[in-house]
Amino acid sequence: MRNTDRNHLVPGNPGAAQSESAGTAGAMAPSTHPSAPSRRSVLAGVAGLAGTGLAAGQLTTALAAVGPRQAAGRTRTAAASEAGHPDEPVVVHVRDVRSGDIEFFAGTSHVRLRDHALAARLARAAHPAARSAR
Amino acid sequence: MSSHREAPEIAKDPVADSTDLYAFVSPDRPDSVTLIANYVPLQAPAGGPNFYQFGDHVLYEIHIDNDGDARPDITYQFRFTTRLRDPATFLYNLGPILSLDSPNWNSRQFYSVRRVEASGRVTELGSGLPCPPCNVGPLSTPEYARLAREAVRRLDGGIKVFAGQRAEGFYVDLGSIFDLGNLRPFEQLHNQFGMHLFSGPAPGVNATNHVNVHSIAIQVPIADLVRRGARGVDDPRAVIGVWTTASRQRVRLWDADRGQDVDSGPFRQVSRLGNPLINEVIIALGDKDRWNTLPPADDKQFAHYYAQPGLAGLLPVLYPDVFPNLAALVKSGKPRADLEAILLTGIPKGIISGFQNNTGPVLADMLRLNTAIAPAAKPNIVGPLGGDLAGFPNGRRVFDDVVTVELRAVAGLTVPLVDPSFKPDGAASAVTDGLDPSSVSAPYLTRFPYLGVPYDGFHNPD
Repeated sequence: MRNTDRNHLVPGNPGAAQSESAGTAGAMAPSTHPSAPSRRSVLAGVAGLAGTGLAAGQLTTALAAVGPRQAAGRTRTAAASEAGHPDEPVVVHVRDVRSGDIEFFAGTSHVRLRDHALAARLARAAHPAARSAR
Repeated sequence: MSSHREAPEIAKDPVADSTDLYAFVSPDRPDSVTLIANYVPLQAPAGGPNFYQFGDHVLYEIHIDNDGDARPDITYQFRFTTRLRDPATFLYNLGPILSLDSPNWNSRQFYSVRRVEASGRVTELGSGLPCPPCNVGPLSTPEYARLAREAVRRLDGGIKVFAGQRAEGFYVDLGSIFDLGNLRPFEQLHNQFGMHLFSGPAPGVNATNHVNVHSIAIQVPIADLVRRGARGVDDPRAVIGVWTTASRQRVRLWDADRGQDVDSGPFRQVSRLGNPLINEVIIALGDKDRWNTLPPADDKQFAHYYAQPGLAGLLPVLYPDVFPNLAALVKSGKPRADLEAILLTGIPKGIISGFQNNTGPVLADMLRLNTAIAPAAKPNIVGPLGGDLAGFPNGRRVFDDVVTVELRAVAGLTVPLVDPSFKPDGAASAVTDGLDPSSVSAPYLTRFPYLGVPYDGFHNPD
């Protein structure tokens, strides 16, 4: 048998690579994050972003940029090292624009933070009609 | 059903829907335990052109607790990947599939297995392991049994694995049970809501006959599962608690441009199964979806469902004058300590001679197996109720009649284990849905993976 660390990717099995770090941790330990959003709300958040003009790369950059700055105000369910490859799609869920409650999903990681300005910017980007009316 | 489509949300997600879990000391290799987790329920064998598969985006796990805290000490993880040889054809296969690398087989699935320990140690046990095809029919899969045997793989450390389609081995008369509990062998005793439709007993009908499931099976040396030094039936270290889970990533987005899902974020549990029929008939509808998301360690909050099971209250109503002692017990409000012991803690030693499968005080729904109890030479399908200590609820074998065992337990047959003054009703030792292993058309196998050859799509339904 061959022992590996948790971040080892399974050779010849690309499907397994996605589950490595956070998948194991998530399955072996009870959830520590606040109540999960409904699937509908996540999809709604994501759908909203489709019209924002923010590319996945930009969101990854945003994720990296806001991480350290917002450290005190966020609840994290994954270590920074689990953030995944920079080219992976990033899904953003603005849970509450008013409070700035935002979730980022990339690979098997999840970061939740509070950033009023970013939430407001994303919300404006997600509603092009409202944006053009301003 | 044991756990097929048992909760509202998971009923919409068949590839992540756990249906049955088995854990038993392997009869043909008694130094090992066989663990089988079934998924993808109620497969009509003629399910082409997209025959059934595991979910590529689902994390399948079989967990083992060996220190009584109802948290996993060892987890076996399974991940699947589908590969198409020719995306330009609509066909599953373009000719007979005679080998697992047959060029005629278009849509193949491979899997990886890893062992994860609570310490964080991860061992890759195998990758690129082939699943067999589904049993399509005599032209497509003419030597199916041989083909499926080739998908049984031996891994380092004396481990065997198999993942693929199998015949459904769980037998149950769903049509009668969910038609207001009208058990056919006793239907003349049912109150029939005043309709007087049934005047005599009738044999049970196996609603899960001639359908297939997808099985994840692993056979592991006992020493790999129990705490070091386990010795003898009375040793608590000989007992393991087992459950299976399926998890999905938190975000699932339909990418319409590519015509496929994009999954993202950490995995979260969407399905769970330990003891059979628990989320099916013990947990109430309003809690089923949440139960599926939790680990057994959190089960204390559900203990009232075991202590006062709704079915125990229904039996005396549905069958007037048949269960008077059960009716009195229900009316007394006494918690069912027998069911709590059987299903939530395991049975302590001193209750049944030569037997215990207790994991301590933590209330948790796990399939508990005393690995020091040898396989029975002549198994009894109702396990300890029939004097066979190697059957359910000591783990679960593929042929065990778990419906009858649980019906009889709920009907009061096991109350004297904790209250010798209670006299079970005569019906408590007779109640059944009227089925046995002969109700399953595909015979069980005598060797790994023990569940029968799946029904093929050409001859089924016949």
